[in-house]
Formats: sequence, structure tokens, C-alpha cells
Amino acid sequence: MKRSTLYPMLFYPMLVALALCAAPPLISAAKVGAAAPDFTGTASNGKTFHLSDYRGKYVVLEWHNNGCPYVRKQYNSGNMQRLQKQWTSQGVVWFTILSSALGKQGYATAGEENDFMAKMQAAPTAALLDPAGEIGHLYDAKTSPQMVVINPQGVVIYDGAIDDKPTTDLNDIPGAANYVSLALQQAMAGKPVQTASTRPYGCSVKYADAAH
Amino acid sequence: MRWCNPSSGFCRLLVSGAALLLCATGAQAEATPTPHGTLELIAENQWIEKRDLAGGQKFDVGLYFKLEKGWHIYWVNPGDSGEPPRVEWRLPSGLSAGAIEWPTPRRLQDSSSIADYGYEDAVLLIVPMHADPKLATEQATHIGADVKLLVCSQEMCIPGKAQLSLTLPIESHAAVPNSRYADLFAATRKSLPRPAPANWKFGVADLNDSFVLTANVSHKSSGPPITQATFFPLAESQIENSSPQKLLPEANGFRLTLRKSDRFLKPIARLKGVLELSAGDSHLNEAFLIDAPVSKPSAARASSDLGARAVQ
Repeated sequence: MKRSTLYPMLFYPMLVALALCAAPPLISAAKVGAAAPDFTGTASNGKTFHLSDYRGKYVVLEWHNNGCPYVRKQYNSGNMQRLQKQWTSQGVVWFTILSSALGKQGYATAGEENDFMAKMQAAPTAALLDPAGEIGHLYDAKTSPQMVVINPQGVVIYDGAIDDKPTTDLNDIPGAANYVSLALQQAMAGKPVQTASTRPYGCSVKYADAAH
Repeated sequence: MRWCNPSSGFCRLLVSGAALLLCATGAQAEATPTPHGTLELIAENQWIEKRDLAGGQKFDVGLYFKLEKGWHIYWVNPGDSGEPPRVEWRLPSGLSAGAIEWPTPRRLQDSSSIADYGYEDAVLLIVPMHADPKLATEQATHIGADVKLLVCSQEMCIPGKAQLSLTLPIESHAAVPNSRYADLFAATRKSLPRPAPANWKFGVADLNDSFVLTANVSHKSSGPPITQATFFPLAESQIENSSPQKLLPEANGFRLTLRKSDRFLKPIARLKGVLELSAGDSHLNEAFLIDAPVSKPSAARASSDLGARAVQ
């Protein structure tokens, strides 16, 4: 075939293919049992984190808004910090994620989030600042808190509420079944996760595209 | 100033008059402040009738929430976020409380992916009370309610607690309504969803991503066609609350497509909830309690007539 015919035959389809690759991926909300969508996040400590770098480890995602009474229940009681310390010391990667838009409750600058974590003695691997809500929408995070647990194979094994007492009362923490700990314990023991999906309870995530 | 002489008839009249005044105001509840609103425990009637309690005496009380503009509380199924009010009753022996009668909620769209169900401005949650022969009738009945609630705006949520009480005398003659609350109870009862007419038929097709609610309604044969339908599920994690519900008019009713929740895991035999309908230009909404069987459609039936006709 003559060169003048071959090149156009290759060139245009390649252009089309390139255009398709360059197109933004469709938003696929994470579902239990499905692959956890990869993301890149910038943390309050300035570092960049890619979820895919942690294949081979358990990863916990914690949606956070420090003005929400349901989040305050977990932090003022020390419960969230305890969970963070307990599980990161066992090699679990823990990302606190802030998906509130600028100007809305739960938004924090890097400095503000670092101050909060120091004051509360929080111990996640990192706090990812997601004011555009990209990671939030990728995981269809609806409330704060909302918890996602990903296994070392990159599959979502839990998504939903932090525990089984959907209240703002600190007194409900000691008697509550903590779904995050249960999922990690069961998965680490090679057992199926008994409660893999629950309705998360909390305040709505304050995305940038909110009604007003 | 000297206390009046108790042996004086005039003094006794004065003191009992004052006591009566205090009792009268005591029988009327006062609004308790809550975050961005007030809450009152009210009774429909001024007293409980003492007649033969063997058969059981029913009367209604209500939790009356008033909210500042921009703030809301939640329905029994709050939707994607939030929490409904919870009540713990403190009742004397012989008195028991039934379940809250939830008026049709409003859909509150927080953002494109988050929607809740609740109430704005004001709402009366009616609670039926049941008195049996054990109820002491020599003195007034004290009803207490400990309420926990969550009040939210678009921006934030604030939890609150209220301790309410109501004292109802027991009288031998027929109970007289509290004129102050008569309109409120009447209007609230109108806004309660009611069972659908017996000749209406509902079915739900369980498809991959959605439920399709099919309604066969002989809705006032000469009336205007149904132009708007909203389904409020009673249970959580069944439908995607923030998705629009597509209405397709049909010859004898309509189909309503409800996107399934991402959390919907185990198949259900029945879909229960409130179906709110409006017809024509009137803003008159009617709400019905429905409890429809869910089935997987056969391949043949799924592809056959949709019976759709053009929306007028």
C-alpha cells in the first residue's frame, strides 16, 4: 500500500482513540465488592497520595467535617483517634478526607486541618483535602462520617456507617458495634465481612454543587 | 402586706381563684425552645373522658414543631442524611402511646447526589394515646415526653433535646376539643397519607438498576391525568433518594421508575412507602400509603406493551 494511503488510514483512527483516552472517566461510585476507584489526593501535610500505591495494604477512608455533631461524637470521645492509632499501627493506611467545598462547613485549609489534628491528637496516615469533591463523588460519599474499607487486592469490602448507633450521643459509643473494626478483623482473619454495607449516618457532605 | 385571713370566705375565694388560674395555664403546654425552633406537647382535647374505660379510651396528643425559615427536621426515613426525632414517653400506669402518625414529608435536595425527607416551617406529629381501666381517675393524668431531635439547614445540623409535659384532667363528661389546636389537628389529619382506594392496583418490577412501580388507578374517571408522582420509601437503602423519578402515564394509570440505591443488596418481596400524586394544574396533592408486591418481570412481559401515551 502506498505510504500516502497508509498514514491517513492509521492516523485518523489513532486520533479518535487518543481522544477517547483523553476523555474524562465516567464517574463510577464505589460499590461493595467492586474495585475501589483510584484517586490522587493532596494532603494537609503537602504530600500527594495515590490510592493505587497502597495495593497490598488495607486502606480506610474516613469522610470528615469537624462541624458536624456526628463527627464531633467520634472525635470528642476520642473514639476516631483511637481507631486511627489502633489500625495504622497494624499497617492499615488511613485517609481522613475533607470533601466540603470552600465556604461550607467542614472546609479547612491545610494549616487549619493540621491544627485540628494536633489539637485532637488525630492519627490518620494523612488528611486529604478534597474541596472540589472529586474523591467524594468518586465514592458517592453522602455523609460525614462515612467509612470505606478497601482490602489489599483493591476491592471495597465495607462502605457505610461507622457503627450501629446512628445518634449524636457520645454515650452510645461504648456499646456500639464498630463496622470498620469488624470489617478489618474479619477480613484479616480470612473471613467474609459480615456487614459489608450500611446506610451511613451523619450530616450531608457539603459539596460544591449543593442546591444553595 | 398581710396574708389574707384563711377563715375569711373572701380570702378563700381569692386563693382558690389564683390556684384555678395556675391550674388552667398548667393544662396548656408551653413551647419549649429547640435549636432554631420550638416544640410543644399538645392535646387535642381539654381532658380525658372518664366513661367506662374497660373498652379503652383513645385520644390524640401531638408533638408540635415550629421551625425557623431555612431549618428542617426529618421524616421516619430521613433519606441520605439526618435523623428523625425520637420520643421516649413517661406515662402513668394505664396509659400507653401508639406510633407517630407521620404526615407526608417533603423532599429536601441537598445536592445532586444527596436528598433527604423531612419537614420545614411547622409540623404536628400526632400520637394516639390509649387509656385502659388501670388509669387512675381520681387525679389528673401527667404525660411526659423526652424528645431527641436533629434540626438542620443547608449549612449545618444541630442536635437538641426537650423534656415536655402535659397534664390532662379526667372528667366524667364528653371531652371537649381544645379550640386552640382544633384547626391544627384537622389540617394535619388531611395531610396524613391514607390507604389507597381498594380498586387501585400496584405492582413493582425489580429490574437491574431500578424498580418500576406500576399503578392501575381509576382516579376519578373524569378527572385530570396525573402529572406528578413522588414515592417516599419507608425503608432506608432501597431507592436512590436523589435520583429523579420518571413518570410515564399509561392508559389506566402510570409507571414510575425509581432508581435503586447502590446499597440495595437483598431482594425484597414488597415495596412500602408513601406515594404523593398531583393531577392537572391544581396544587392539590394526595398522598397514599402503598405496600406493593415486587417481582422480577418475565422477559416477554418486560418487552411488551408499555401502554405509554403522549403526555398532554
